[in-house]
Amino acid sequence: MRRRNLSVFAALLIACCVAQTAFAQQLKIPYETYKLPNGLTVIMSVDRTTPTVAVNIWYHVGSKNETPGRTGFAHLFEHVMFTGSGHVPYGLHDKLTEGVGGGNNGSTTNDRTNYYETIPSNYLESALWLEADRMGFLLDTLNIEKLNAQRDVVKNERRQSYDNQPYGRVSEIFAAAMYPKGHPYSWPVIGSMTDLSAASEEDVKAFFRLYYAPNNATMAIVGDFDPAQAKAWVQKYFGDLPKGQPVQRPTVPAAKLEAGKRLVYEDRVQVPRLYLQWPTVGVKNADDAPLSVMGLILSGARTARLTKALVYDSQIASQVAAFQNSAEDVGVFQVIVVPRPEHTLTELEAAVDQVIQKFITEGPTAEELQKAKSGLELNFLRGLESNLGKANQLLDGAVFYNNPGQFSVDYQKTLAVSAADVKRVASTYLGRPRIVLSVVPKGKKNQASKAAESETVTMLMKQGRGGRS
Amino acid sequence: MRQRKLLAFCAALTIVLANVASLAQQTLDRTKVPSPGPTPVLHVPAWTKTQLANGATLIVSERHVLPLVSFNITFVGGANQFEPVGRRGVAAMTASMLTEGTKTRTGDQISDALQLLGTTVGAGVGAEDGSIAFLSTAKNFDATLAILSDMMLNSTFPAEALERLRARTLVNLTQAKDQPVVVGAQVFAKVLYGAAHPYGQRATENSIKAVTRDDVVAFQQAYFQPGRAIITVVGDTTPQKAKASVEKALASWSKGGDKPSFDYPKLPELRPAKIYLVDKPGAAQSVVNIGLPGPPRNTPDYFALQVLNTILGGQFQSRLNANIREQKGYSYGVNSGFNYGKGPGAFRAGGSIFTAKTDAALIEFMKELKGIVGEKPITDEEIKTAKESLIQGLPQRFSSVSAISNAITSLVVQGLPDDYYQTYAQKVSAVTKEDLLRVAKRYIDLEHLAIVIVGDRALVEAALKATEIAPITMLDIEGNPVTASQ
Repeated sequence: MRRRNLSVFAALLIACCVAQTAFAQQLKIPYETYKLPNGLTVIMSVDRTTPTVAVNIWYHVGSKNETPGRTGFAHLFEHVMFTGSGHVPYGLHDKLTEGVGGGNNGSTTNDRTNYYETIPSNYLESALWLEADRMGFLLDTLNIEKLNAQRDVVKNERRQSYDNQPYGRVSEIFAAAMYPKGHPYSWPVIGSMTDLSAASEEDVKAFFRLYYAPNNATMAIVGDFDPAQAKAWVQKYFGDLPKGQPVQRPTVPAAKLEAGKRLVYEDRVQVPRLYLQWPTVGVKNADDAPLSVMGLILSGARTARLTKALVYDSQIASQVAAFQNSAEDVGVFQVIVVPRPEHTLTELEAAVDQVIQKFITEGPTAEELQKAKSGLELNFLRGLESNLGKANQLLDGAVFYNNPGQFSVDYQKTLAVSAADVKRVASTYLGRPRIVLSVVPKGKKNQASKAAESETVTMLMKQGRGGRS
Repeated sequence: MRQRKLLAFCAALTIVLANVASLAQQTLDRTKVPSPGPTPVLHVPAWTKTQLANGATLIVSERHVLPLVSFNITFVGGANQFEPVGRRGVAAMTASMLTEGTKTRTGDQISDALQLLGTTVGAGVGAEDGSIAFLSTAKNFDATLAILSDMMLNSTFPAEALERLRARTLVNLTQAKDQPVVVGAQVFAKVLYGAAHPYGQRATENSIKAVTRDDVVAFQQAYFQPGRAIITVVGDTTPQKAKASVEKALASWSKGGDKPSFDYPKLPELRPAKIYLVDKPGAAQSVVNIGLPGPPRNTPDYFALQVLNTILGGQFQSRLNANIREQKGYSYGVNSGFNYGKGPGAFRAGGSIFTAKTDAALIEFMKELKGIVGEKPITDEEIKTAKESLIQGLPQRFSSVSAISNAITSLVVQGLPDDYYQTYAQKVSAVTKEDLLRVAKRYIDLEHLAIVIVGDRALVEAALKATEIAPITMLDIEGNPVTASQ
């Protein structure tokens, strides 16, 4: 993120989808889509409810396109995109967005990078002009000073969101432990301090030329506008940007653990936490939907299985969360437990396993399945209230499935999830080797779950603490 | 008419444009910033306001775009007005306990019923107001409202549920101590207002441990009263339908309660500017909060202060962030704001700063604060941008049923006129440069700033001292003075 308040990974935690039958037929976001000769895909969806528009561009590049030694690059680049371009002096982008009552931001995930403007509807043309200019002419004004300034900001983002955050390093510990060295998902989106320091001006330029061409971009315009007028503006500002080289998508081996791992990490915290993570599948796999439904059956509501057993019945936990977290190519199922005082992580792990074993054996009840799906209609309608939310739905489908209307396919898939599907994914994935991570207070390694069998996390310690700059 | 014709022309043009793109593009001057179209007309949603027999105010605003309805009961007055001495936290605990069961439903049954309706009922009590609310599909509105009503009026507050909630709350308080940002905010409040003022108080281990079931029952009975309630229904409904639903679901909610007074004790005497340092060994960043008590929401200076803060620290390109993040690279983001309420809410500027740059950033913060009170005069361009941003951002406040509900309810809670949004642009426009300088000098009192920093003492103390900005006092994470031996 260019601005704080959402994590880099927020986009990965897309709300799990669940459904209700009667509504499924009305599931529509009206849109039209077309492609410019230079390869830019454009999606338009008109909604005149509020006199505002969202312009949102997804570039199909994320941290998985980086190479080891240059991690954090895609995200650093996201920041560079806000420093002005050939015809847009620094600062004007903000002035034409937040300066007129709108907003802007960008975000980076393992899979893609996005940029958006939310503006009063009379500022659509300038937003398109701004986006076209940085797509076509960013390098005209890029220099090492600009790069260094944003490098410092990103290091501060890392300090704020990871290093100075209790439990803030868990995601990168898991990335490194879950995937083999060199795997495209094995490093964190934010990157390492050392790699951020190492990025050269030439690295940045080469990255831009390859990944920021129109043929690697998809743009959505959603809100109060005239489509014919918008098409003319798109043509005017984007039409002559040259097509780039075809982009090679990285080959991503499926996540697989040969054997389970037990890790312990000492953090500046007073309350320990237990994390369990199993390798699962990415968003395109048919098992993604039942895995998401399983998350809702295991945690969230008071009567969800883990919540009820650990927080309400035995009361050994203060909080429990369980969810499928899926990216374009890979996914994981994760359980997080916060103990109540006087209860150990070893005890919590055994209790979680007991619930999961029972669930694998019996599968969900019809009512559990129904409850898990009942929130979908409302969630979907809420999503329709926001131009930006709709744009992201359409773009997610267009970029990853080549179908802007994919959300309704996903909705149907979730609706169709059966008790047998959930039971099958529970036994398939939760029966496999997993990573158990205990985060414990400094000097309290003995608080880890099965401490004697746990390996101390050392691989990432060297780069922490924000001491380098 | 002109607009229409132009659009039709463009539509026709698009078809041929693809073929002549290269020709057309040769003449495109990309240095020319596209001019905005005509400013869209502001449509403030209409609403009806009626008084129910039990004294509650009912507000209904129709919006039929989607089959959604937002329901909200807001109570005027909050923890600061209703929590007994030594029981800070009972308000939030009571709100949480509303999910634990009623005379006819167990906690599990409430949860299951709401899951099947696809929604949740949220209750919370803040410092000066509280609410119980949900968002539902239109078809599930009455069923969800019936459960809300049961939770609010018939909760049984089982003793064992209170013990469970207490234990979980204590874990949360322990976890909060590890969050430098939370510690910073708590110590800042305590330094500004002192332990005797409600603004300086919060729930502590001791107060949470002291709360009894009787306290919870008493709070529920005293607090959730129609005499201080504003019921706001927004969405796919009508005033008639909404009123009938509300009167049916809340039929047993009888008259009682009234709006509390907001008389706060006198503020502690302002003290000369000082740095209050809270040691957080190993912290990668220093959390900085700079400020002092400010005006209430009903200050006549409100609009001038909004424009002022937009220039100083309300936005990305505001002076503070443009300097400390974008030019200096000391932070991922800094900002400022006035925390308006019924009482003297704080003016605060701050952010998380790279440990090694704590002193350098503080120098820049002080430079910008001195700048805004006169050393770096506010330009016409800054004023123009700030005003445009505030005025043109207004439609965003009506972009969803929940947003509309907040926009209308806040007028009633804060005692603002019904035509507030219609006259908003005019009031922002009327702010002058002289107004800005006057309110800056009045509310950003450099002589009496409290500078609260949570960071690694070993790495920042000497450097902060060397800035000679203000003397340093060490505090612990509760905001109490640390003795010299520590």
